[in-house]
Amino acid sequence: MSEFLGYERDDGSVGIRNHVAIISTAPYANDTVKRAADIIDGAVPITHPLGRCQTKPDVFQTYRTLLGYGTHPNVYGTVVVAHAGEIVDGDELAADVAETGRPSDSVNIHAEKGVMNALKRTVDSARDMVQEASAQRRVPADMSNLTFGINCATSDTTSGLCQHKATARAVWRLIDEHGGRGCFAETPEFFGGENELSERAVNDEVRDEILERVDNWDKRLQATGYDVRGAQPTPDNMDGGLTTIEEKSLGALVKSGDGPIQDIIDYGAKIPDDSGMYIMDTPGHGAESVTGIGAGGAHFMVISTGQGHTLSNAIMPTIKITGNPGSAERVPEQTDVDVSEALVGDETFDWAGDQLWDEIEKVVNGQVTLSEAMGESQFAIHRIGPST
Amino acid sequence: MPDRYLQVVEPSDNVATALRELEAGETVTVAVGDEERTIEVQEDVIFGHKIAVEDIASGETITKYGKSIGNATEDIPAGTWVHVQNVESNYGRGDLAGDEQTATVSE
Repeated sequence: MSEFLGYERDDGSVGIRNHVAIISTAPYANDTVKRAADIIDGAVPITHPLGRCQTKPDVFQTYRTLLGYGTHPNVYGTVVVAHAGEIVDGDELAADVAETGRPSDSVNIHAEKGVMNALKRTVDSARDMVQEASAQRRVPADMSNLTFGINCATSDTTSGLCQHKATARAVWRLIDEHGGRGCFAETPEFFGGENELSERAVNDEVRDEILERVDNWDKRLQATGYDVRGAQPTPDNMDGGLTTIEEKSLGALVKSGDGPIQDIIDYGAKIPDDSGMYIMDTPGHGAESVTGIGAGGAHFMVISTGQGHTLSNAIMPTIKITGNPGSAERVPEQTDVDVSEALVGDETFDWAGDQLWDEIEKVVNGQVTLSEAMGESQFAIHRIGPST
Repeated sequence: MPDRYLQVVEPSDNVATALRELEAGETVTVAVGDEERTIEVQEDVIFGHKIAVEDIASGETITKYGKSIGNATEDIPAGTWVHVQNVESNYGRGDLAGDEQTATVSE
C-alpha cells in the first residue's frame, strides 16, 4: 500500500483525523475551553498553565506550540479562547490559523463580558465546525504526506533490545519506501550516545548543532545545582533494569535506527516537508516531548515502551508498542502492539517491524488506537525559564 | 547451548541482560560474541536487570552496546547483579559542580 485515506486541507497537508480544536491561550480560559469541549462531541480541548507572565523565549515557544495544534493536519478547524489582553494574543493566533485555510474563530472572555457569554460563543462556533467537519470524506492520499512521531516512555532494558528495533524498522520503511518523514526527540536522552548520533547528520552544520544542543541541556541541568543522575534514569526506568542515563540513552537511540539525520529543530517547530529523519530538541519528559512533536505536525505517534505507559495525545493518534512480555498482561490498555515474541520467542525483529507497520496502516486509515478509544491524552508545553 | 534469556549485545560488553528471573546459585551459560562462558549466579536477579559476565574491578568501565554505561563503584565478581548499587554514571555531575572533584568528569 502506498496510499491511505485521509482528509485534505487547503494548505496541502492531509490529515488522518478530522478534529475541531478548542485552544486556550492562558490558564484563565482553561475552564471555558473544557466546558465547551464537554458540551460539543467531537471537539478537543487544548489547555495549559502558560501564555502569560513569561519571558520572550517562552512566549515564542508557547505560541509556536499552540499554533502547531491549531494548524495540525489532523485538525479541521479551531476556536481560540483568550481571557483578556494576554501576551499570547488570541486574535493573532486565530488569524494565523485562518491563514492555512482552516475555519478559525477567536473568543475573548473580557470582550464577551464574562465566562457565560464566552462559553456560549465558543460552543456555537465549535458546534458549527464539528458539523462542517463531519461532511468531509476521506480521499486517497500518498503516504509521502505522512510524518511519524517517535517517543519512548517508561523504558526498561527491553526497550533498546526489542521494541525500539521494531520502531526503527517501521519509521525507515515510511521514509525509504514511501518518502515520508520521521521525528524523534528527547535531547537529554542522547547523553552518552551523542557523538555517534551526530555523525549521522547530513552535514557538518547539523552535526555541530546536535552536539551544541546536547551540551546546552547538560549546562541547563547542571545550572540547577543538581545532578541529572538524580532525575534520570527515572525510578520506573531503574525498576526495569536501567542503571545510568548513558544506558538509557544508548537504548533510546536504537528507536531512531541508523539512517541520516536531516536537521535538529526547535521545540514545537514545524517538522520540514522534505522526506527524511528529523530531531526535535525536547526534554525527556514524555508529556512535554510528545506535545512538542504534535505541534510539529506529526500525524501519529509511536510510543515505544518497556513497562507500559498512559502517554498519548489527543490530536496525534498514539500507538503503544512493547517488547516486554509482562507488559501486555500488566497494562493491556496501554499495549496496542506486543512484539515480545521477537525478544523471548521465535519471531524476528523484521516480524516485529511488520506488526507495527500493519497497525500503523490501520490507524492512519481511521482505526482508533486504544488511548483514543478511552479518551486518554496529555498536553504539556515545555517551558524554558521561570514565570515573571 | 548458551541461555537465550541472557543477552549480551556486543562482544566487548561485560554485562548480560536477564530476560528471565535468575536465582542465586544457578549456573548459566552466556554467549559473549562467539565465546560461551559458564557463570554462577551470585544473587537473585529480576527480569530486565543485568549481571556481570566477567570479574569487574572497582573503577572499571561497565560496557553495554559496546559502549560505557558508567563505572563500577566496587569490585563486581562475575555473576553479580549490576545496577545502581554498584555502578555510577559519568554524566551530569551537577552534584560535584563547584567542588574540586568536578575535574573527574569523564566522557
